[in-house]
Amino acid sequence: MKEKSTSLLVIRQRNTRKVAALFLAPVTILMVIYIFYPIVDTFITSTYQWNGISADRKFIGIQNWITLLQDKSFWIAFKNNLIIMVLSIVIQIPLGLALATFLDFGGKKLTVFKVIWFIPLLMSSVAIGFLFTYALATNGGIVSTISGWFGGGNIDLLGNPKTALLTVIAVICWQFTPFYMVYFMAAFTNIPYDVFEAARIDGATRGQYFWKIALPLLVPSMKSAAILSMVGSLKYFDLIYVMTGGGPGTSTELMATYMYKESFSNFNMGYGSAVAGGMFILISMIALITMKLINGKKEA
Amino acid sequence: MKKRMKRLAAFSMAVLMAASMAACGGSGGGSSDGGSSSGGSSSGDDKEIVYWNIGTESPDKDIVTAAVEKFNSETESGYTVTSVPTQNDSYKEKLVVAMSSGECPDMYSCWSGGPMYEYIDSGFGQPIDDLFNNSEIKDKLMESAIGQATYNDHIYAVPYQNVSMSGIFYNKEMFEKYGLEEPATLADLENICATLKENGITPFALANSSKWTGSMYFMNLAARYGGLEPFQNAVAGTGSFTDECFIQAGEKIQEWVNAGYFPDGVNSLSEDDGQAKQLMYQETAGMLLCGSWYTGTFSTDSEEFYQKIGWFPFPAIEGSEADPSIMIGTVGDQFIVFNCEGEKLEAAFECAEAHLSDEVIDLGVESGKIPPVNGIEEKLTDPITIEVVEAANNASEIQLWYDQYLPPAVSNAHLDGLQEVFGLTMTPQEAQESMQQAMEEYNAQKAE
Amino acid sequence: MDAYKKSRVKSIICWVIAFALAIFYLVVSFLPFIFMVLNSFKEKFEMLTVGVFELPQSLNFANYQEVLTGGFGKYFMNSVIVLAISLILLLFIASCASYPLARFQFKLANPIYAGIVACMSIPVHITLIPVFKMSQATGLYDSIWALIGPYVAFAVPISVFILTSFMKEIPREIEESAEIDGCGKIKMFFSMILPLSKPGLATLAIYNGVNMWNEFSFAYTLTQSSENRTLPLAIWEFQGQYSMNTPMIMAVLTLTLLPMIIMFIIFQDKLVKGMTAGAVKG
Repeated sequence: MKEKSTSLLVIRQRNTRKVAALFLAPVTILMVIYIFYPIVDTFITSTYQWNGISADRKFIGIQNWITLLQDKSFWIAFKNNLIIMVLSIVIQIPLGLALATFLDFGGKKLTVFKVIWFIPLLMSSVAIGFLFTYALATNGGIVSTISGWFGGGNIDLLGNPKTALLTVIAVICWQFTPFYMVYFMAAFTNIPYDVFEAARIDGATRGQYFWKIALPLLVPSMKSAAILSMVGSLKYFDLIYVMTGGGPGTSTELMATYMYKESFSNFNMGYGSAVAGGMFILISMIALITMKLINGKKEA
Repeated sequence: MKKRMKRLAAFSMAVLMAASMAACGGSGGGSSDGGSSSGGSSSGDDKEIVYWNIGTESPDKDIVTAAVEKFNSETESGYTVTSVPTQNDSYKEKLVVAMSSGECPDMYSCWSGGPMYEYIDSGFGQPIDDLFNNSEIKDKLMESAIGQATYNDHIYAVPYQNVSMSGIFYNKEMFEKYGLEEPATLADLENICATLKENGITPFALANSSKWTGSMYFMNLAARYGGLEPFQNAVAGTGSFTDECFIQAGEKIQEWVNAGYFPDGVNSLSEDDGQAKQLMYQETAGMLLCGSWYTGTFSTDSEEFYQKIGWFPFPAIEGSEADPSIMIGTVGDQFIVFNCEGEKLEAAFECAEAHLSDEVIDLGVESGKIPPVNGIEEKLTDPITIEVVEAANNASEIQLWYDQYLPPAVSNAHLDGLQEVFGLTMTPQEAQESMQQAMEEYNAQKAE
Repeated sequence: MDAYKKSRVKSIICWVIAFALAIFYLVVSFLPFIFMVLNSFKEKFEMLTVGVFELPQSLNFANYQEVLTGGFGKYFMNSVIVLAISLILLLFIASCASYPLARFQFKLANPIYAGIVACMSIPVHITLIPVFKMSQATGLYDSIWALIGPYVAFAVPISVFILTSFMKEIPREIEESAEIDGCGKIKMFFSMILPLSKPGLATLAIYNGVNMWNEFSFAYTLTQSSENRTLPLAIWEFQGQYSMNTPMIMAVLTLTLLPMIIMFIIFQDKLVKGMTAGAVKG
């Protein structure tokens, strides 16, 4: 009996590997072509001094990387990215969870809420950028108008280096919170209905059900959401580029906008590639270490 | 349900295989592609000339289309030109991507200055001296336009679109109401500002989140304080961007910021979204310093409003020795550069000439443009455009916009620093030092 | 009885507060959309003189008329084709990859997973040049087919990441009981795992669908003729060097957004269905 089961196990393992290889083949091909090749290309380019278009480029070894390590602008951009990352996680995930919980408790009656709450994610960054530059305008914008009602003066949010980043983060949160809402809604549906029923029979209130039962079950989803938000905010580009272009000064400069400027407008493709490579290394390190940390905790 | 799933799976599998096969072929070919082909992004038809431009919206679109159609219908070269209009915002990026793969179009329209020099240096622009000297456009084009198309003593481009000089647009009704007149000196201008400010009107409509808009003020002030020599020396490496005239210009700007001559939150307003002209239209601002393309912007937005608008060049500074006739602007705005040789180049050049044919010029004039050709003032009827051309013709020198003229890295240093000057978060000295540093780095790299 | 009443009152208060906040957030989400639609009805000069946040003077459909008579229909079809094919491919490839990563135990699972997470962190713009070269070499350049590869490839890492964490949450008993019944791994995938992942797949479809629909950089670099453009490029026609016709652009963006809203209304239903399916089983 025992013998049979071990051999069965071996067969099963071998079978597992075969099936896994089959299932992972398409993704591997795709990754190699579209992602590994560009990454390798980026690292190669980063060893050249190159304007990006000329046929001849000069090999300079790790010179670009040394410059990168000492480049204040890059580290300022990285710091800005970190601020976006922390605030995004702190704002978007709880807010998304709250919205999802509300919808989950309310059921189908609340579809209108769901659809409207979701609209920001559907809008293109061009439209969002345009509307918010007007909404936040110092003179006549929404914030200044509200401040006027309370006897305050005009408030310059986007033009002030101290507030520009926070303002843009608010808009980013506005845009992406709906994603986490849908994400958690899907996670809620993964909780079997009988769990909820059993809790109700035991006399648990909705609040108790949420805190004691649903929330712990949602922890894995929250961890993934945090990773997603982390990676997303570290490589963020769109809205910043549309709304502030990194300004005023360097107050909203991000790694991605900096990389873009160096590569495509300053004719520093070699250095731009080093910035991209640096971004890639930093982001994957942060993401992988965080994953290790939060998953390690689970096992302990 | 299950059946449908299976069918879906089978279908996806088929598509996937096709796609991955195509892509595999791609990765093999892609790496060996060394950037040798100069055939442009054409479909292999060597009688086709691919022409990239930014004529996506009227009237630019109409002008380019008219020129290309004229060429295609009249040419005896056997070539046809395919125009590829592309959006302005990311046009430079698209050119870089194409050029880096050696797939530069046969001819393309771009701005003069730093980036254009970079394209030429990298081998994506052919000198056209012979063709040009034998062509009738040689005498037709304004001398300053040819100057902006010249690089390292060779002519590389055909300017065709617009003469754009920076100057000050103002609301005539408003000036009348407060008894103001066009200023002759900077002191007059500042008096106007003070009067407008007293009456609750923002003197200058400026949207400086776009950065280059603020540079208009800086360039004009610097040219009036010190002429163009300090700038030229700084670029050549024999002078410095920390020269007195630049510092004075920055200080004057900060003085005006402190006096409230610019709108609140000037660094957050966006030129692209129309927040500068909005202030003019709402008549909460009295003046706007920008390129003379604004005539077209105003008149297409509202002909009625345009009637209220007057224009004057940036006034002289009393006590300054600089020549007050110097203008800042572009003579051509769009320059056609060629990336082909032999017969093809001749044909492409012929198409560029078509941009300067009388009928296309008339079309340009009709839509508010000032094509950079001699005697254009006789064709113009709009009073402001005539003033602009006169100012350009009388100018002893015309300096191209800094942000176009300078190498892009220096230009960005200039724009970023100046924006902080407007925001009072940097002193003019600091901003100019960072610009100078970028220039030195660029010159050092070039010298290598 | 008293305690019950108390909890009732408390629950009602909670709901009232929740509703107030929900409605506040509703307004915050909805207002920009309303302003976008309102401005799409204005004329250019009108928008700037009366201000962006005023009602239009009249419901002026001319903007929409002009947009629709341009290349909009063609762009729309291109976008639909690209979206449909990319999305099907993406969901299939991503679920194939997530299945072994979430449900199997084999040595390479963790390194592969980590590799995919690392792929999420690649900045898209740096891939433009390599991808451009590939499209040139394969002759796909300047056709909508050139877009499918990058669209799928750059959506795969995040999709696999989400879907793997989703599939991990499916109770193992389901699989075990099926295995005892002699169900093979491949059959298990199609008959059990895939249907149970529907809420996850719907999330992915929505998220990636939106991204692909609004994608600009690749669409811009990999196509050039107007017959091969997708919707995000349609705003070009109203954006010149020195001025843009903002109301017209708002009209284009509104028309671009509507199909997405409709798609969401359909797909969000799938999210709910996942739930009720679970209820029936329970």
